[in-house]
Amino acid sequence: MSPTARPSALRAVRVEKRFGHVPALRGVDLELRPGALVAILGPNGAGKTTVLRVLAGLVRPSAGRVEFPGAPRDRRLARAHVGYVGHATFLYPALTARENLVFAARLHGVADPARRAGELLVEEGLEAVADRPAGTFSRGMAQRLALARGRVHDPAFLLLDEPWSGLDPRWAARLGERLAELRQAGRGLAVVTHDVGRAAEVADSFVLLSGGRVAATLPGPSEPEALEAVLRESAAA
Amino acid sequence: MNVFRAILWKDLLTEWRRRERVLSMLVFTLLLVVIFHFALPGGAGPANRAAAPGLLWAATLFASILGLGRSLSPELENDALSGLALVPGDRGYVLLGKATATWLILLAVEGVLAGLFLALFEISIGARAGALLAVLGLGTGGIASIGTLLASLSSRSRFGEVLLPLLLFPLLVPILIAAADATAAILAGDPPSSGSVRLLVVIDVVYLVVSFVSFEYVLEE
Amino acid sequence: MQGPPADPIARAARRALPATGIVLAGLTVVYAWVVWNAPPDRVQGVIQKILYVHPPLAFAAYLGFLITGVAGALYLVRRDDAYDRLASAAAEVGVLFATLMLITGPIWARGTWGRWWSWDLRLTLTLLLWFVYVAYLLLRTFTEGSERIARFAAVYGIAGLAVIPLNYFAVQLSQGSIHPENLERGSLGPGMGLPFLLGVLTTLTAFLFLLALRVDVGELRARARARLERAWARGEAA
Repeated sequence: MSPTARPSALRAVRVEKRFGHVPALRGVDLELRPGALVAILGPNGAGKTTVLRVLAGLVRPSAGRVEFPGAPRDRRLARAHVGYVGHATFLYPALTARENLVFAARLHGVADPARRAGELLVEEGLEAVADRPAGTFSRGMAQRLALARGRVHDPAFLLLDEPWSGLDPRWAARLGERLAELRQAGRGLAVVTHDVGRAAEVADSFVLLSGGRVAATLPGPSEPEALEAVLRESAAA
Repeated sequence: MNVFRAILWKDLLTEWRRRERVLSMLVFTLLLVVIFHFALPGGAGPANRAAAPGLLWAATLFASILGLGRSLSPELENDALSGLALVPGDRGYVLLGKATATWLILLAVEGVLAGLFLALFEISIGARAGALLAVLGLGTGGIASIGTLLASLSSRSRFGEVLLPLLLFPLLVPILIAAADATAAILAGDPPSSGSVRLLVVIDVVYLVVSFVSFEYVLEE
Repeated sequence: MQGPPADPIARAARRALPATGIVLAGLTVVYAWVVWNAPPDRVQGVIQKILYVHPPLAFAAYLGFLITGVAGALYLVRRDDAYDRLASAAAEVGVLFATLMLITGPIWARGTWGRWWSWDLRLTLTLLLWFVYVAYLLLRTFTEGSERIARFAAVYGIAGLAVIPLNYFAVQLSQGSIHPENLERGSLGPGMGLPFLLGVLTTLTAFLFLLALRVDVGELRARARARLERAWARGEAA
């Protein structure tokens, strides 16, 4: 089940989502392109996590749609091109780190699950603890394992929700490098974060969400100070 | 199919590591046998041989609640269920994998329970052991598929442990009737009636299709 | 109070309310009069008049459960809350009628066969179905989030519909029916046809009236809830 034609973009088109009667998203347009990293910023309750879960196919939009131009028309198959790392780790505490990755690799039909799991364990510096149950991991180790899990099938588009949470400075820096590598390899990335400084380091465009709407889009790289100013402006508006 | 195999492997590995479902169900069914013994005039022995098939399936139904209630808990701990919802292709295979693991675990418990019943009620089935196993497998198929579906509803509701038997038992009554009917025939030395076997097959197919198709709607928010 | 409902199902329900209410009132008077004056059964006596109540209640209950299953399936396809409100209304009214049927059944059985409960085919089937739809209502109570309630309930409602034929064949496998055979052939005794027909009509009208009422209340409640939640959301934003 190798991914057929990789999509040329991952796009949310006028996406709306209501939970009960409360609108979480009120018509969001967002596009991820290969080799680009979009940082999604905004205050609590702006709809950042929801928009990521809609793009991942975990939340069904109440209106609007998610498009994968160039991918198979079947939305269920297009999920093969998306990786998602959320607030929760998606890990099984009873399984070892290696088993967790082998399982995720098998789920996604990766050709050699054991080898892929080994590679990722080395990359995330977890080879020494690879055969310990994931339930014994510290928050930071679990987060690194979750990051490895999210890209086990080398997706064309990777969606990360607060990926730095729990990481110490060394591994936080490594994550920044990893994101740059993935961009160079032509992967499209979206990162939701509160951390304007980190966002400014890694992203080449910015989307500011507020009240379920795109309040501002900054198409180019930006300094943290400039970003903060725009954020304050959009919050005041 | 990748998804199905991966989840089957993962669930059986988890069960092998912790053995919590098999052990809790086994101890519970043994307890039920003791309770049946004291509840029946004449006890759980040859005097009540006619009640054995129905009691066997009643014990299976009660035990299945324990196994099914726990089947979804590893998926909820770190929201692993969302991880499963990310799989490409039909999400029904997620249910199929989990239901098959539960089916095998339930069958292991039922095997022990059936052996115990044969010994206590002094029934020798000899060459009909294969037929009994087939009926156990058929009856348990429907329990595992619709049970996994309903456990995925109840485990994400309040009072899930209370809710699951209330949701599940009314849907298991036809299985109880057909499986007990077929089992009674086998224990009496006859071939099971074609009506009961056919009904078991129909129930399995209906429940499998309903569970497979509607699991998509259980997963997607 | 708040203007007409937005969705067609609730609009139809509100429009049906006065009509079904008036028809129901009229039918009830005629029905009661006809049943009162119907000749008592030679064998069973007065108790036989439950015939004019009991089977019609069952028809209405099954109609309710059918609507619940179909409306639930439509909700999953269209994701329109109106279908969910119809499904839950039909389940509530269906449970009410099934409960009445399960109460009148034993009274009839006691008077005719001398025992309260006979595990007769159709009573048992309705009892099993009653459990399914009580569980359906409990699932709705214990689940959180209106969208999740609708989704989970729809899945269970469809499973509940699938179990009806399975239960039928299973209970038939376990026993024969002791229900009056003449009923199965549809030949009622002399003088029984009109009151029975009126019973069916009155019960179905009562069913429709209550269903429309319940749908209307559900829609009003949803609108009130929407206003409340929007007010909360504004409060949070401010």
